[in-house]
Amino acid sequence: MSYTWNWGIFWQGAADASGTWLHYLLGGLAWTLATTLVAWVLALASGSVVGVARTLPAGWATRFGNAYVELFRNVPLLVQMFLWFFVLPELVPQALGDAIKQMPPPWAAYVPATLCLGFYTSARIAEQVRAGIASLPRGQRMAGTAMGLTLAQTYRHVLLPQAYRIILPPLTSEFLNIIKNSAVALTIGLLELTARARAMQEFTFQVFEAFTAATVLYILVNAVVVAGMRQIERRVAVPGLIGGSGPRTGH
Amino acid sequence: MFAGFDWDVIWRSLPYLFREGMTFTLTLTALAMTLGVVFGTALAMMRLSAFKVLAAVAGAYVNLMRSVPLVLVIFWFYFLVPWIGGWLIGARQPIQVGAFMSSVVTFTLFEAAYYCEIMRAGIQSIPRGQVWAGYALGLNYRQTMAAIVLPQAFRNMLPVLLTQTIILFQDTSLVYVLSITDFLGAASKVAQRDGRLVEMYLFVAVVYFIISYLLSHQVRRLQTRLAVPGPA
Amino acid sequence: MAMIEMNQVSKWYGAFQVLKDCTTGVDKGEVVVVCGPSGSGKSTLIKCVNALEPFQQGSITVDGVSVGDPRTDLPRLRARVGMVFQHFELFPHMSVVDNLTLAQVKVLDRSREEAVQRALRYLERVGLKEHAPRYPGQLSGGQQQRVAIARALAMDPIAMLFDEPTSALDPEMINEVLDVMVELATEGMTMMVVTHEMGFAREVANRVIFMDRGEIVEDAPKDDFFGKPRSERAAQFLSKILRH
Repeated sequence: MSYTWNWGIFWQGAADASGTWLHYLLGGLAWTLATTLVAWVLALASGSVVGVARTLPAGWATRFGNAYVELFRNVPLLVQMFLWFFVLPELVPQALGDAIKQMPPPWAAYVPATLCLGFYTSARIAEQVRAGIASLPRGQRMAGTAMGLTLAQTYRHVLLPQAYRIILPPLTSEFLNIIKNSAVALTIGLLELTARARAMQEFTFQVFEAFTAATVLYILVNAVVVAGMRQIERRVAVPGLIGGSGPRTGH
Repeated sequence: MFAGFDWDVIWRSLPYLFREGMTFTLTLTALAMTLGVVFGTALAMMRLSAFKVLAAVAGAYVNLMRSVPLVLVIFWFYFLVPWIGGWLIGARQPIQVGAFMSSVVTFTLFEAAYYCEIMRAGIQSIPRGQVWAGYALGLNYRQTMAAIVLPQAFRNMLPVLLTQTIILFQDTSLVYVLSITDFLGAASKVAQRDGRLVEMYLFVAVVYFIISYLLSHQVRRLQTRLAVPGPA
Repeated sequence: MAMIEMNQVSKWYGAFQVLKDCTTGVDKGEVVVVCGPSGSGKSTLIKCVNALEPFQQGSITVDGVSVGDPRTDLPRLRARVGMVFQHFELFPHMSVVDNLTLAQVKVLDRSREEAVQRALRYLERVGLKEHAPRYPGQLSGGQQQRVAIARALAMDPIAMLFDEPTSALDPEMINEVLDVMVELATEGMTMMVVTHEMGFAREVANRVIFMDRGEIVEDAPKDDFFGKPRSERAAQFLSKILRH
């Protein structure tokens, strides 16, 4: 029983004639990052809004926030991906649906994939933001109000700056998660890193080289993100104010 | 706006969806959870071991699994398991491994990395004095772990372990990439055969939502019950 | 005859030396009280006796068996030495009676029935027989510590180690625990006790050891220790804890 290794495969021309297999995989990595980064901005923005809503004194805001989080957390990411890709265009007004369906190739998969990842991750960020704000002493909110700050100012200047520092470590893991989760987009045809490793395996039969390369690239990206976030953590650290968290579930 | 949809397709395919699809999903979830918790606990004990080599090997394994997308891990094991299996029994060629076996191996090994981190936190949350007390009574390492540390760690971490299992339940839908007939796979086959994507995928989403929501609700209740101080 | 013998024991945490050349012993039937300010190393010293804490230099023998020897069967040695901890360390997930039977069954290979019988006998002795089926979390601190003592006694120990057994207790519960310890001492149990309870020391101790900064500063018969402490540090310590 033997497997024929061929590490030279990466310097041979790829099937799509755009360059070598190495180029092909790096192109996949670029799509992974492009999906991840845009989805992350979306997730951070909407996740913060929903997370804050869940801590507001208004009951309806809390209920809306809770429903939002439950909705995105209890449906598998892959199923959500199908909802955005297959189902949504059928449910919107026909003109818009047709426009969506006529998007040219990478965008037809890229746009729903990014929206899907963004909203999926936003629910998880909303939970972190809520927990971060809830972990602050109640006196902080009262002190802000007592000084004459409006509710919005209290959030902007007192609560959120502390909460974000506290949840920086879990946010790092969410960022790592969104990178990994972007691989699910291959199911709707986005040629990101994992999809291209799979395609390379199908064309060349060099299974283990292709997957090893993808694995190494993911690990490198991971390392860069962890190092970067550590820099940020150090930059924004306030002496005497510590953030921490227990064991987390997730991927 | 739902005019023109055929909701009856769901009713017609229910037996197939649940008897074939959901059975696969639940069996895979249960097996991967059981085996994953066992292997994960072993990994956690290795990570906390005084033997540096053991700790490093377990740490590297866990970090590797946690750095790579599950989809990629599924592909890895789909191709790797036949080779490892062949190597184990000394066959001349990679052996045939069924989709089910391959999925069980994949999810067990993958989830073990996550269960490991949960159990590690659980073990570390047990005060050192408990270990001392076990040793002072003459129990050895194995007995102290089995009778004193692990039962308490497991109990403390039960809500987190179950939450991770709900994630595992949702994650098993990714076997779709191997064209396996799990719950989503079954629905997808019906959807494509009958051209009823909207109906089927919405139905799948609703079913996953109900199950996951009810389970996580139960976990939260368990959590509050365990958090009440006093009678154990 | 020396039951516990320590010779030139030294221990370091990294570069920090917590024990410096500690030499002392406990004879069969003797009660030795170890006292000293917090951080003086007394808790570490007593944990070295049954090797819960490793030490780097010197030797300790218990009933002639060397504790530091890598060939020594430590679980067997520990099974013969009872230990009571500051925070009780009952196993919270087991009932009181299961706390007492666990090691009897697993280490001494006693039958379940025999172990339960003994457990109940020792629980009765500490006045807690009716609490056997309850869980540790349902008992008061004083009751928990008495269960912990019964748990150690159920192993038929040749000596007992007490590591600050009353310092985590509310004041009104200290005496119920001390009473059990005094009874044990008068029955001739070999005991090494880390404590600040000088009343206990006066009543039953044969010798008192005073430690400071990892060193044994005083090691004297009880009457000498309370009568005329020879070192400046011991005199200071005594005046501080005996003032009230």
